[in-house]
Amino acid sequence: MEHAQERIEEHRITSQPFYLPQGDEVTIARAAYRNRLPLLLKGPTGCGKSRFMQYLAWELHRPLITVSCHDDLSTGDLIGRFLIKGGEAVWVDGPLTRAVKAGAICYLDEVVEARKDTTVVIHPLADDRRELPIEKLGQLLTAPPEFMLAVSYNPGYQSVLKDLKQSTRQRFVALEFHYPAAPVEEEIVQTEAGADRDLARKLVKLAAMTRNLKDAGLSEGASTRLLIHAGRLMNQGIAPRVACQVAITEPLTDDHEMLAALDEMVRSLF
Amino acid sequence: MDARAISERLSAITAPDALNEWELEEQAATIAALPAGVQEGALHHYQAIWPVSHALAALFLHHLPGALECLAPQQLGEWARAALDAYERHGLHGADTFLAEPERNFLCRLRGESALTFTAALPRLRPYIQALAGPLHDLDLTAAPHAATDTATFFLPREIGLFREERQNFLLYKLITSLLWAQVATGTYRWRWKPEEPLIADLAGRYAVRPDPDLAPLLGFFRLFPQPTLAEELFAQAETARLLAFLRRELPGLMDEVAPLLPLLLPQRSAPPETSAQTATLEEIRHFLCHPSGPAEQGKQTRAILLPLASPTSTAADSARATARLYEVVTAFPGPRHALPPLPFVAALRPAEAQAARGRHQQEERTRFVAALSTLLPPAVLPETGITEDQTPPAAARREADTALLPPGTAEAARPQPTIILDKELKALTVDNQSIALPPELQRLGQRIAADLGQVPPEYVAAAAGLAGSGYHPRASATASDDTVPPATPLTYDEWDFRRNGFRKEWCLLHEKDILPTRGTFIETVSQKHRGLLLRLRRQFEMMRPGERFVRRQRDGDDLDLDAIVEALADAKAGQAPSERLFIRLRRDQRQIAVVFLVDMSSSTQGWVNTAIKESLFLMCEALAVLGDAYAIYGFSGMRRLRSELYHVKHLDEPYNDLVKAKIAAIAPQEYTRMGPPLRHVTRLLTATEARARLLITLSDGKPEDYDDYKGDYAIEDTRHALIEAKNLGIHPFCITIDQQAHDYIAHMYGEVNYIVINDVRNLPNRMPEIYRTLTG
Repeated sequence: MEHAQERIEEHRITSQPFYLPQGDEVTIARAAYRNRLPLLLKGPTGCGKSRFMQYLAWELHRPLITVSCHDDLSTGDLIGRFLIKGGEAVWVDGPLTRAVKAGAICYLDEVVEARKDTTVVIHPLADDRRELPIEKLGQLLTAPPEFMLAVSYNPGYQSVLKDLKQSTRQRFVALEFHYPAAPVEEEIVQTEAGADRDLARKLVKLAAMTRNLKDAGLSEGASTRLLIHAGRLMNQGIAPRVACQVAITEPLTDDHEMLAALDEMVRSLF
Repeated sequence: MDARAISERLSAITAPDALNEWELEEQAATIAALPAGVQEGALHHYQAIWPVSHALAALFLHHLPGALECLAPQQLGEWARAALDAYERHGLHGADTFLAEPERNFLCRLRGESALTFTAALPRLRPYIQALAGPLHDLDLTAAPHAATDTATFFLPREIGLFREERQNFLLYKLITSLLWAQVATGTYRWRWKPEEPLIADLAGRYAVRPDPDLAPLLGFFRLFPQPTLAEELFAQAETARLLAFLRRELPGLMDEVAPLLPLLLPQRSAPPETSAQTATLEEIRHFLCHPSGPAEQGKQTRAILLPLASPTSTAADSARATARLYEVVTAFPGPRHALPPLPFVAALRPAEAQAARGRHQQEERTRFVAALSTLLPPAVLPETGITEDQTPPAAARREADTALLPPGTAEAARPQPTIILDKELKALTVDNQSIALPPELQRLGQRIAADLGQVPPEYVAAAAGLAGSGYHPRASATASDDTVPPATPLTYDEWDFRRNGFRKEWCLLHEKDILPTRGTFIETVSQKHRGLLLRLRRQFEMMRPGERFVRRQRDGDDLDLDAIVEALADAKAGQAPSERLFIRLRRDQRQIAVVFLVDMSSSTQGWVNTAIKESLFLMCEALAVLGDAYAIYGFSGMRRLRSELYHVKHLDEPYNDLVKAKIAAIAPQEYTRMGPPLRHVTRLLTATEARARLLITLSDGKPEDYDDYKGDYAIEDTRHALIEAKNLGIHPFCITIDQQAHDYIAHMYGEVNYIVINDVRNLPNRMPEIYRTLTG
């Protein structure tokens, strides 16, 4: 497997990622890191959770190993497995094991997507034991003080079947993320998409309008990420209405009536 | 065809409710007079309309010759369908009006020239306004003769047909809606005046009127003028000028699109010479509204008054000042004044209604806020509010006392009061230094109140403190009653009419009912009778239970497959290419199946069929209890389209228990079989559940049939269509039919492989679990 060869240094973030704090989340995360507490990031999609982790990793000078969870993710995918190489069985560490060994930050994105039995392997790592048992090797790894575990999930759209178990959630320091306040979001769109102030303001206004429709036809409003996409397309010379349509309204829904209504909002603003 | 052949055809169509002889003759003559190529089509459409309404069919024929003057023969079907729609929406009279003018009512619409109706614009307007106004306002949209708002409801014109293109008409709708929103957002109705302020004192002095502070503020303002209607008109226009500028800042895209349209709303002719100077001044104002960047020399005086309203800081008070000046300008000219047609986007003013709506709204929010807050406060507050457990006064008296209760620390200082502090951001509540977080819903409500009144008035909190512990929780009691007696609002469903190849909109009413469980020996008898079968079923179904198993020789997996490795090594030594499939993977089979059993409870199931159905349901439940699939059981029956009934035996998320067993035992024949509504309802239920596979199993004893015209081909086609709808939504329908003779219609109704006919009803209990196993295996 290719990722076996990946060196931990490749996960180091060398240049400062752009991140505008929404509140005191950076201070809290720093304090949690110092006290070896794991983090749970909650919030809608595209509101800056992953960017926050990159920023934190950069600030703490730790490598960041991100695992996108899916429902076929097994414990082997996290911890490691034997592979056959040239007639020999070779053990290859999984991303979690590598992070523990290297004292990196391991970030399990969308952790609820993983099956519940997979999530359980992080339990001993997420409490004060900070241990990772590797059953197949008969080893017990103890995480160095630099290691940090972080998980994220979106409480909004997941079905009832995919909720985080209490025994899992009650091990974390939880940070809730929202879409940034309008002035902050405008600044983010300006910086990330290279949009001018007026355009950024219009995009943020459009986003606020779509967020008003959450649970009233839309399951989720437009995320900051979508605004940035739209802004970047406009930078490439795509007409604003078209850019909003392809980058914001169309990704939000397939319902034609709703699309027509969203289109009216776009046409009102641009 | 000659008149005789036609009249024979007609009497065949209309039988058994035959027409009078003279009616028949007349109608046959009408058809016979039509061109030969149209006669067949006319008869066909007549046949489609006849079962819906005999009178409508007659009207259709009556208007047909006239309609053919402008309609092409191939448009007849569309026209007939539209007439049926008009009939269902507006009754016979509405259909008559529709049929009488095919050019205006039908062809224009086909050409896309027609007016855009409120109903057609609504699906786009509603989300638009929701998005614009945000969650802090619950706005309602409704059709009315004039555009206006009372701040709770937006009244929009029934239709707009001022422009040729639908898009342009819609833009006007959008502009009107946005302007009404601007009224709410910028507080047209929130303006309050004091008698001593210069504007009011000045007007009162000039026109020698005493200001009446008891009226709604705007109303009182208009009454200051000798001609209140003129003042109202001018205020509405000044306010529109201000709000248009507001929209130009907020929604530039909309205003850019609308700008070229507005001048078209003005009469194109130049002012007739006899126009008085007063009327001309009013024209100037209208001109300014439609054309703010028009030639500056036109109407200099009014422009000078209206232009400053475009400033971002201007408010309704500025519009009022502008009104006073405009009034002066207009009345300075000699009359008479001609009434000008109102501009469609200038909203009518509803000051009294707005005040009433505001009062209603505040009261509503106060009640909700107080009730919600009181459930949060600890009952320990109770003795300190002056009421002790043993001397409980009647609830009404207590509530009066609550409203009279003063904010903590003012009047009853002698008694120790709990200090209740609501934090500024409305996130938490502090009771005697103990912080209680407010639930988000309450936070939002609090924010709304604060936005409306500036802050949450302390008496709200005091009232909540009074309610807490008094045992009076309006919200709690409301939810409790909701649980026991569900609201009896019937659900509406469309019905497919194959004759016109379209839906009858909201045609059927479906009532949900509960079956009264019976305690009897049925279940015991059945479990005795089928003891052997039950045991076998349990074993069979146990084997289908989701399990975990190892699959060997995978490319990827958690563990090494030693056998495969040994083989691969041997192969490699022998010089053959070794296999790459060396891993073992744990596979979890998750069934995730949701099933609904829909049971025919029509009177024809009386006797053996009913017993067999109940027995099989019981056996199915026992088997499914082992398997763990989510399943629901509903019975259906009813009479006529307005009373289709769905009987609840077991919901999907309900556990299987003695109550469910007793309800199965209570399944009894009722009335008729209208299959469409229950099928559509269950389809809706199933689409809302999360499952890998959704199954809809119908248990019936033959043809769908109702007391009214729901029979024969019509009923079969509707059932078939409902099943197709289900299939399109990813549901797998399957029908088990108990019928002595297998009819050919069954395959057509259910689709080739989606049904099974059971000839001998006594086999059903045996067969049903088997069928289920094959279906889901």
